[in-house]
Amino acid sequence: MAPPSLLDRRLVLVTGKGGVGKSSVAAALALLAARSGRRVLVCEVNAQERVAPLLGAPPAGPAIREAAPGLFTVNVTPDEAMREYGLQVLKFRTIYEAVFENRVVRYFLRVVPSLAELVMLGKILNEVRSQESGRPRWDLVVVDAPSTGHAVQLLRTPAALLDTVPPGPLRRDAQWMQEMLVDPAVTALALVTLPEEMPVNEAIDLDQQVRDLLGIPRGALLVNAVPEPRFDAGEQELLRAQQDDPPPLGPAAQAAVLQAQRAEQAARQVARARAAIDLPVTVLPLLASPAWDRSAVEALSEALGAGGAPWAR
Amino acid sequence: MERLAERRIAVCVGPGGVGKTTVAAAVGLARAQAGARVLVCTIDPARRLANALGLQSLGNVETRVPDHAFREAGLQPGGQLFAMMLDVKRTWDDLVARHAPDRARRERIYRNRLYQQLSSALAGSQEFMAMEKLYELTTERDYDLVVLDTPPTAHALDFLDAPERILDFLGNDTARALLSPALHAGRAGLKLFQLGGAYAAKTLARFTGADVLKDLADFLAGFQGMYEGFERRAAAVRSLLSTPGVGFVLVASASPLAVDEALGFHERLHAESMPVAGAVANRITPSLWPEGESAPGEEALRAALGAGGDLAARLARTLAEHQLQARADAVQVARLFEAVGGAGVAIPRLRADVHDLRGLSQLAERL
Ligand SMILES: Nc1ncnc2c1ncn2[C@@H]1O[C@H](COP(=O)(O)OP(=O)(O)OP(=O)(O)O)[C@@H](O)[C@H]1O
Ligand SMILES: Nc1ncnc2c1ncn2[C@@H]1O[C@H](COP(=O)(O)OP(=O)(O)OP(=O)(O)O)[C@@H](O)[C@H]1O
Ligand SMILES: [Mg+2]
Ligand SMILES: [Mg+2]
Repeated sequence: MAPPSLLDRRLVLVTGKGGVGKSSVAAALALLAARSGRRVLVCEVNAQERVAPLLGAPPAGPAIREAAPGLFTVNVTPDEAMREYGLQVLKFRTIYEAVFENRVVRYFLRVVPSLAELVMLGKILNEVRSQESGRPRWDLVVVDAPSTGHAVQLLRTPAALLDTVPPGPLRRDAQWMQEMLVDPAVTALALVTLPEEMPVNEAIDLDQQVRDLLGIPRGALLVNAVPEPRFDAGEQELLRAQQDDPPPLGPAAQAAVLQAQRAEQAARQVARARAAIDLPVTVLPLLASPAWDRSAVEALSEALGAGGAPWAR
Repeated sequence: MERLAERRIAVCVGPGGVGKTTVAAAVGLARAQAGARVLVCTIDPARRLANALGLQSLGNVETRVPDHAFREAGLQPGGQLFAMMLDVKRTWDDLVARHAPDRARRERIYRNRLYQQLSSALAGSQEFMAMEKLYELTTERDYDLVVLDTPPTAHALDFLDAPERILDFLGNDTARALLSPALHAGRAGLKLFQLGGAYAAKTLARFTGADVLKDLADFLAGFQGMYEGFERRAAAVRSLLSTPGVGFVLVASASPLAVDEALGFHERLHAESMPVAGAVANRITPSLWPEGESAPGEEALRAALGAGGDLAARLARTLAEHQLQARADAVQVARLFEAVGGAGVAIPRLRADVHDLRGLSQLAERL
């Protein structure tokens, strides 16, 4: 039996090495889900906002904003998350302001280790469980998580607090958050990488940490920006011999040889990732799009939709 | 990169994933091959430097890349190349041991629950320790060059802000004074705070749980009196970083976002009078067709090939895409190099991923 589609989870965490395409994949995934009639929220985590601009919408900032039909985005910042969390605990704005706007208190909030992570994650997970007229407010929450080390730090916060914090309100919050993160009916983590040696190494390491340290259900591996095989072996041999020909053939052959080498190298890395990581693998094409914008995200979204089981609508 | 030739410290900075670790290793390799005694220090948790240098693993100690590894890669060893990977927790422990007035105090800090989380949980902790280690390595050892790779930060500038942030944390007197009653609070815990911010702090305790604040109080009390030592050291690192023996190397890819970030970093370094040795534009697509001329179409290529099928069409498309990328890259490289007064090196995307000494040496040659 095919594993259930990740689009049917409530929370998909997108992470991977810096620059591998996490934001683009998160945007593409959200677009795919929204087009299938789901109500989707994409959370960026205290980032230079990328998702809304990629969709051709203005940045949302810390307040949820609709970027495309059925697709909402937000940039979760520690200050705003702290404010919301504080209001929830303290109930009254005046009390909140008296306490949280206090200079010394602000210092504490900043320095109690992991508190910033906790409230940001808390805000995200709160969205996942929030209800509106008797049904979940969001069908799917996609998190454009930070890159490797920072993602592990963020996602480990509840477990780390459970290890160190004595009983109290903080611990209670860490508890429900942790339960939600490890629940396979709710959460899946999607790992993004590039078809290159070191990014694949890092993906393998990260995958191991997700399994052994975080215990978060792993959903899919996405290998992004994979060049298509464009020239067969016979053609490649021919073209290699023509690289020193006069223009136009020489330069065209050089470009083709470079393309073929990249494609071959990428295929090797995709195979290596497949062998080392026991997850369904989705290959996303390398797009020749110097302006990285909505059209690129549309193309990625289409490739995801054609990417098989994990992304079935 | 001649502007790096006389430096004793090189710090590779730049956005995530652009090749900082790779360039750091290549800079080190280049100088070692020229006969120098070089250390490359990485903070990379993914062991990438170890991989690239052909070592099984790296730890907090300096490991020499053996001569046979060079020879197996077809290289002359030249000088000596060492590598190490920063262990953040160990470096904190060493720092505490160095500054603690006595054993009891040291143990008290080691036992504190917040301290135990510190190295992983406190933002900026890695960067702070990187600077600390750099100071130790350059003042207590005799390397001709120490190359520091910086951690993959979400915001490259975190690296410069880290020490201040951590010192602010450790040395906040108001916080310490306000928290000190927490140390003596009984089990009821809520007598925690007196006067002053009492109301605020009490409510805060309701929010975090009183014990968290107690841990924090104990932590800050532990560091009492050591702060000045830390501060002096941080100031020393800062002035070390603005001496002419230091060269920051801005590493970027040709993506507009990466270049924006590198330029931001450059501005900041300039404002802080920290010397920039130059920029490396990494993984650039080389141009294969003259500037300003449009790339050949399918027909021209079909005629040149003298063959049918759709090969000509695929060739035309491949060259056109290649040139599109090359032109976009050239624009970004120009932006980057302009900022550093032309002191830039463009490194093409190599045919293979850089994951061994041989690959690194190809890169080193271009520097
Ligand atoms: N499939 C692809 N084909 C070609 N280029 C791509 C592809 N995916 C991503 N890119 C390029 O990589 C860049 C980085 O993508 P993106 O911002 O999504 O990465 P990220 O992992 O979110 O980065 P960061 O770690 O900085 O948040 C894009 O701006 C685009 O230029
Ligand atoms: N000139 C090049 N040609 C081909 N591949 C390269 C080149 N430079 C670096 N790479 C490859 O790019 C990938 C990223 O490089 P590297 O790990 O050095 O980046 P980084 O900036 O240190 O990343 P992080 O921010 O995650 O620490 C590696 O797989 C490396 O082999
Ligand atoms: Mg991103
Ligand atoms: Mg690195």
